[in-house]
Formats: sequence, C-alpha cells, structure tokens
Amino acid sequence: MSLELIRDILVATVPLLLIFPTLFAFTTWLERKALARIQNRIGPNKVGVPLTRYGGRFSLFGLGQPMADGIKMLFKENIVPRDADRLFHLLAPILALIPAMLVLCFLPIDFPWINNIQDSVKAFMLDGAVIFFFAITGLNTLAVFMAGWASRNKYSLLGGMRAIAQMVSYEIPLVLSAVIVVMMVGSLNAAEIANAQAGWNWFIFTPWGLAAFIIFFIAALAETNRSPFDLPEAESEIIAGYFTEYSGFKFALFFLGEYIAMFAISGLAVTLFLGGGAGPGVAALPWLSVIWFLVKIFALIAVMIWLRGTLPRLRVDQLMGFAWKFLLPLSILNIFIAGSALHLLAGGRLAGLDEKQPILRQLMEGANPLVVAGLWIGALLILYVAANGLNQLSRAKVRPREYKYAE
Amino acid sequence: MSEQIAFWILSAIAVLGALVAVRKRNLIHGVFALMIFFAALSGLFLLLLAEFIAAVQILVYIGAVGILLLFAIMLTERVAGDDGRRMTSRGWFWGLVVAAAVFVVLLLPAIQQWPTPEVTQAPDPSVEELGHKLMNPYVMTLEVLALLLTAALIGAVTAAQGMRKPKEEGSPE
Amino acid sequence: MTLHHYLILAALLFCIGLMGAFTRRNAIVVLFSVEIMLNAANLNLIAFWRYGDNPALQHGPLFTLFAIAVAAAEVAVGLALVIAVYRHFRSVDLEVMDTLKEE
Repeated sequence: MSLELIRDILVATVPLLLIFPTLFAFTTWLERKALARIQNRIGPNKVGVPLTRYGGRFSLFGLGQPMADGIKMLFKENIVPRDADRLFHLLAPILALIPAMLVLCFLPIDFPWINNIQDSVKAFMLDGAVIFFFAITGLNTLAVFMAGWASRNKYSLLGGMRAIAQMVSYEIPLVLSAVIVVMMVGSLNAAEIANAQAGWNWFIFTPWGLAAFIIFFIAALAETNRSPFDLPEAESEIIAGYFTEYSGFKFALFFLGEYIAMFAISGLAVTLFLGGGAGPGVAALPWLSVIWFLVKIFALIAVMIWLRGTLPRLRVDQLMGFAWKFLLPLSILNIFIAGSALHLLAGGRLAGLDEKQPILRQLMEGANPLVVAGLWIGALLILYVAANGLNQLSRAKVRPREYKYAE
Repeated sequence: MSEQIAFWILSAIAVLGALVAVRKRNLIHGVFALMIFFAALSGLFLLLLAEFIAAVQILVYIGAVGILLLFAIMLTERVAGDDGRRMTSRGWFWGLVVAAAVFVVLLLPAIQQWPTPEVTQAPDPSVEELGHKLMNPYVMTLEVLALLLTAALIGAVTAAQGMRKPKEEGSPE
Repeated sequence: MTLHHYLILAALLFCIGLMGAFTRRNAIVVLFSVEIMLNAANLNLIAFWRYGDNPALQHGPLFTLFAIAVAAAEVAVGLALVIAVYRHFRSVDLEVMDTLKEE
C-alpha cells in the first residue's frame, strides 16, 4: 500500500463526497421552488444568507433555505420508539446512504483532477462497472425494509413491504433496458459506453435506444421511489411509510440517500443513453464534458420534479401490473428488436468485427442509408404498436372502483 | 501486504456472519448476518480476481436470495423467534460432532502439504473471456440453466400458491 | 496468500453451515445453512481457479456462475415449499413435520 495509491484513492473519492451532497442541497431548493410554482405558490423565499443580519434583506430567492433546513435537522430530537429494534433503527439510514454514495464512483465523469491518477483506482474503468452499479443499487431495498421492520409500526412495515415489491419488480425492466446499450457497445465498462457515444452518436437517437431510455427512466422513477411511484412513502395513505418513526438526523440521512440515488440513477441514464459527457465544444475544451454531464443529470432531475408536480400516485395493483404486464414484455421485445436490427445491419459480418470498438458504430460505417432508414422506421413502428397493444391488454382488468361500504 | 490484511478482515467477517446467521434466534437479524456473510464472500472473490463473480454474488445473493428469505420469514410465523421454545433440534449434539468431524477430514489434506509454493501467475480478470466462453462452448449449459430457472419459477409459484379453494357464492373477489 | 488459506476458510465456513443444518429446528434457518455451504464450495472453486494451472480457461468462474444460478433456483423452490408446509402445519418447525414417522 503505497502513499501514491492512498493519495489517488482520496483524489478519486473525496470530491464526489463533497460535490453531490452540495448539489443535493441545491436540488431540494429547486424542487420546492418548482413544485410551488406548479401549485401556484411562491415557495421558500425568506431565508437568505444564513447567520448574518442581512438574511432577510438579501433573500436570494430563498437559496439559504437548504442550509437552514440542515441546521434544523441536526438539532432535532432523535426519537426511537420503545419497542423498536434499536440497532436496526440506527443502521437503516446508514445502509440507505452507503450504496447510493458508492455507485457514484461508477459514473464516468471526467473530472480534471482524475486524469493523473492510475486507472486501477477509477471504478468506472472496471470491466463490469454496469453490473456492479445494478448490484449495489439493489442494496437500497434492504435499507428500506430494515427501516420499515425496525420501527415496529404497521405503517412503516406496510411501506417497507410495498417498497420491496416495487423495487424488485422494477429492477428487471431497468436492467433489461440497459442490456440494449451493452449490446450496441459490446462492453460493460462505463467509460467505454460513454466514449462510444462521442459526438452525436447518443443511443437515445436509435429507435430501440429511445424505447429503452423511456423504459429505463420509468423504472428509475420507481427504483428511487419518486412520484408517481412513491407508494412506499405515500403520505396520504400510510403516513410516510418507512420514514414514519424517523426524525432528526436519521431522517436527514434517508433524505440525502434518496436524492443521491436520484443523482446516481440519472447519471447512469446519462451514461447509457444520453452520451455521457458528450456535447458541443467538448473537443476543444475537455473540462466542458463535466459541465455537460451535470447539466444532463439536472435535466433528468427537472423532469422528475415536473412529473412529481403533475401526476397522481398509482394504486398498488396498477403499479405491479404496469411493471409485469407492460414494461417487462416491452423490454424483452425491445431486446429482440435490437438484436435482429444489429444482425440485419451486420449482414453476416458480425464475427469479423473488432472487439475493442463499439459494435454499432462499426456496423453503421458501411451500411446502406436506405436500409438504415427502413430499419429505424420499422423498429419504431413495431415498438409503437407493441406498446399500444400491451397498454390495452394490461388495462383490461382495471375497472372503476366498487365501493362496498359507501352509498 | 494489503492483500493479506484484506484477506484476514474479510474472512473474519465471513466466519462471524455465518456463525451469527446460524445461531441467532431472531430470524431477521439472522438474514442480515447472512447478507454480511455474502458481502464478505463477494470481497474474497474480488481478492481472487474473479470480478464478475463478485458482482453476481451481490446481485443474486444479497439482492435476490436475501429478499426472498425476508419475504418467506415475514410470511411464516414468529419473526422474532423469542417465544422461549427450544431452538435446537433433538439430535443437536450428534450434529455438532459430525460437523466437527467433517471439518477435521477437510482439514487433513490441507495440513499434510502445508508449505505450498506461491503461485505468481495471475489470471486475467476481464469479463470478456468469460463472455466468449459462455457463448461458445458453454452455450448449451446456459440454455439448460435458463430452462431450469424458468421451471423453478413456475414450480415455486405453484408450490407457494397451494390448492385454490373453490370460489364461494357471495364472497368478495 | 496461498491456496491453503482459502481452502481452510472454506472448510470452516462449510462446517458452520453443516452445524446449522444439523442443530437448528427452523426450516428457514436450515435453508440459510445450505446457502452457507454452497457459498463455501463456490469459494473453493474460485480459489482452485486462481491458484490452479490454467486460469485462462475460466473454468472456475464458469462453474461458480452455474452453481450460483442453480442455488438461486433451489432457494426459490425451497422457500415455496417452506411456505406450502407452513400453510399445512401452521409451523416451520422441522420436528413438527413427522407425519411419515411410525407411531
């Protein structure tokens, strides 16, 4: 264990641990502000520069609100129910935060300071980075269950069980839509996937990539318990689900973990479908790729906030039916379409490809534009028809609710 | 040096996790101890340069098997298990003896040739070769495995569903 | 680290699993123990591959991959059986399930 190695590890990890929690504070403010505007309110607008006399006068659109919230959280009383499992009650928020923080290092963000460190420290250079990402985000489920069970509260337990059912169901379409990208690149390495989309070769611009992105985004919403899939913490049904018995700093940790998980899964979506750090001007100024990456993450987060302000919450039966009857068949069909399209594009030369290069780009080089256009339109048509049909099929059983005890 | 430190720490965690999982009365605590054991084993796989297996270990054992065990525990009786009943089976003493005897038998060949030569040739940790192997010589195995998993899925659903009672008149659903 | 370190560790883990399977009455804990034993065997396979003669063949990871898949199938079916048995006996205690025994 040499000193250089320790230095490299610190250089690779510490900035991530500083940048994303800071962005988290900003995102909470953004979310409150945006939701308020959607609901025709103003939102936080009083707190300015904290701990100064000018806090009220220079309110800066309420930008000081996250810091005030943080201070409030730190000083609130930590309440543990008498019958709770004290150890698990303490461990759950920690377990919720760690996997979310851990997967951030699999995002291929080209921070300027990581250019001089050795490759073995960069987690996104791992050969199976994408698989590791999914493996570690899956641990979040356990934290939610732990919180729900340890609280000894029926609402918490209900929330925990709902969360497990939801996360396990939506993880399948999530992983299956990532498979499309792995097929097009021929690698599980996050950096290679991002590099394969340099320029404007983003995978969202292919029909199967577009479909996969939409499936991925919906599943990501469910994985991070965002509205309209926020059944595990549905305030109006089960108080706050697994959060119910949490207060103070532990609650803040859960909150932080949830937002970091949002960043992580949006970052993976950016890596897989939106070209990673690719964007105008990156060739001239390499550090722009960091800006583009973060801008794309924030674009996805803005869509999440917008959806939260717009869509009502799903019912449990609708939630599970949507995952198993709609998303799962569609993503399997999508894999089939992507595979046949790659095969048709290749026309028998799939075996002769260079393994170190992205597969799709090699196939596109010598392809006839007419064939490509036909494939694109055909694939989009099949996907559209399939989505419509599945929608009809999975909806057939949902009737208007029958009220047994009222009227 | 760092490899040795990692090995000792991980193996201590694995042994402790396994012991707690097997001896704990509270089943939920037991499942989480089992998951710590799985995680430590995943770390050991990483030490052995089997990167893909380490990821699969987390994905399958902690992400899937662990959740399944939690569900099974929640669906059956007495989660906390603290009802004062006997925890051990009738023949526990002979069980211990057999386990100890098996340990000695497994230990013997390892002790007999104790000083082993250090192997310096390290395998290539890349996933690529594994993928080629799975697609070329072992593709039949993979397909059979897919069939097995599908059969297990259907079998598990039918077994857990049990006998469906005939629908009564006027009952809900 | 040598092969023997891993072999002894795997033997110890296997015997902890064996002990659990022999001494506990709860069917779910017996399933835990079986999982521990399977994992100890996987550790052995990977260790043999790492310190073996021909790691380029990737036999160790392949074998382990198949073992993990089979183990996953086994857990799913096993837990389904436990739940089916629980529905019948209202218990997961292995000593309650002795209806085949001669009285």
